[in-house]
Amino acid sequence: MTTVSVEGLRVSYGKRVVLDGLDLELGPGVHGLLGPNGAGKTTLTRVLATVLRPDRGDVRLLGHRIDDHSGLRQARRRLGYLPQTFGFYPRFTVREFVEYFAWLKEMPPARIPLAVDRAIERVGLLDRADDRMKQLSGGMLRRAGIAQAIVNDPRLLLLDEPTAGLDPEQRVQFRALLREVGLDVVVLVSTHLVEDVVAACTRVSVVDGGRLVFTGLPDELIGTGGDSDSGDSPIERGYTAVLRGARTAPR
Amino acid sequence: MTGFHLDARVLAAYVEDRLAEVDAWSVEAHLDRCGACRSGIALDASGVRLVQTVGMVFGSRLPAQGRVRRATRWRRIRVLVGGGPAARGAWLLAVAVTGLLAAAVAVVPAVIPPWLLLLIAPALPVLGTAASYGPRTDPLHELVAGTPHGGLRIVLWRTLAVLAVTAPVAVLAGAAAGTGTPGMWLLPCVGLTALTLAFGSLVEPAHAALLVAGLWAVVVLAPMGGVTVVVSSGPVWLVVTAVAAALMYARREHVGRRAA
Repeated sequence: MTTVSVEGLRVSYGKRVVLDGLDLELGPGVHGLLGPNGAGKTTLTRVLATVLRPDRGDVRLLGHRIDDHSGLRQARRRLGYLPQTFGFYPRFTVREFVEYFAWLKEMPPARIPLAVDRAIERVGLLDRADDRMKQLSGGMLRRAGIAQAIVNDPRLLLLDEPTAGLDPEQRVQFRALLREVGLDVVVLVSTHLVEDVVAACTRVSVVDGGRLVFTGLPDELIGTGGDSDSGDSPIERGYTAVLRGARTAPR
Repeated sequence: MTGFHLDARVLAAYVEDRLAEVDAWSVEAHLDRCGACRSGIALDASGVRLVQTVGMVFGSRLPAQGRVRRATRWRRIRVLVGGGPAARGAWLLAVAVTGLLAAAVAVVPAVIPPWLLLLIAPALPVLGTAASYGPRTDPLHELVAGTPHGGLRIVLWRTLAVLAVTAPVAVLAGAAAGTGTPGMWLLPCVGLTALTLAFGSLVEPAHAALLVAGLWAVVVLAPMGGVTVVVSSGPVWLVVTAVAAALMYARREHVGRRAA
């Protein structure tokens, strides 16, 4: 079952074209989105999060077209999004922060108190739930951000560089959470850490120069690498091989 | 999340406790990770009871919920209106500036001309609205914009929060200045805010506010006596408000959602 489908996506900032003619199909599972800096990973995530309107292209989320008002609203209710950077209201407590987004996502009121606590518990912040956001460390802020993303039990979860700022132990916990969440929903994790993909992702896509240059299983990405490719691990060699292939091929 | 799934016969044997211990362990290890196979387990009545009992025992051991705030309608209003300290900052600014002006006019009428008051008081909600929503002033904008309540709905909540404070102040200021009836000040106040929201569907809310504030300044400062024109043209403001509201409704999903 395909829950995200993107066809002929084009996004530009002024004259600079960031994504051009990108097609993407995602089904349930954890999908890794790899690519060098500036390849368009964040832009693609923002389009899927319905924050950025594309110039052109057909985007369907969870069976809804996002250029249709009611469809967009339906899709947004089942969407979770963690941007690469986000601010916070310093006086909000963690619980108020997550509750704010529960209301913004139009959850049924009766479910909100328990869902808020459950989301905070899943990211391991329950003992800090009544602390103000300004008292949290960077890693805790990121976990609070993950909590607001999963509070509505999203069917499409978009995470942009979610492991940045997490220490190794939290990173392991986070991957376990990903695998658990990814059992029956679509999770898209944009990252430049290749090891995250091996550890937590069932499929992987590589974006370069605004196009999708590879999509498949992590093992298939590993398989594209040869001994001559640079990289410290098999998947890094596969990743550089895919990028090299995309750049030498005629466009 | 693994590539393989358990055979139905293996699952059935596991449920009926016919597997060797080592095999049962590996089945359990797989079930821990695989929702699809877990859902393939058919339990009999005693099994269902056992699962429920275990669930209750574990549930009662969970840490007590913290301060539970019941999700009432009032709670919703409090959370949504109180959400943006950006909106709160705009209140403070609006109230402080208009209050100071009103006081100054009342104390020393000669110092501050009424046109200055007219220029600033109705335009305050406009600036307040713009200041409470947008990527530059709202630290959570990126997150809020992707929610179903983002865009026009949250902008309206915040406008309400700003208007609730600035409209009475604008009325008081009008009364103090003695220019027209106090109610007359409310109309431009609402009209300009509606215009800002309507333009906010075409450009960024902050830019829309600057545009509206600029237009307003031109009208007030126009040489043909803008003050009197504004004060005596109630119906015009009603029309402006209505047109702006219609435009706003037609483009409601575009408010605060930038094109790339």
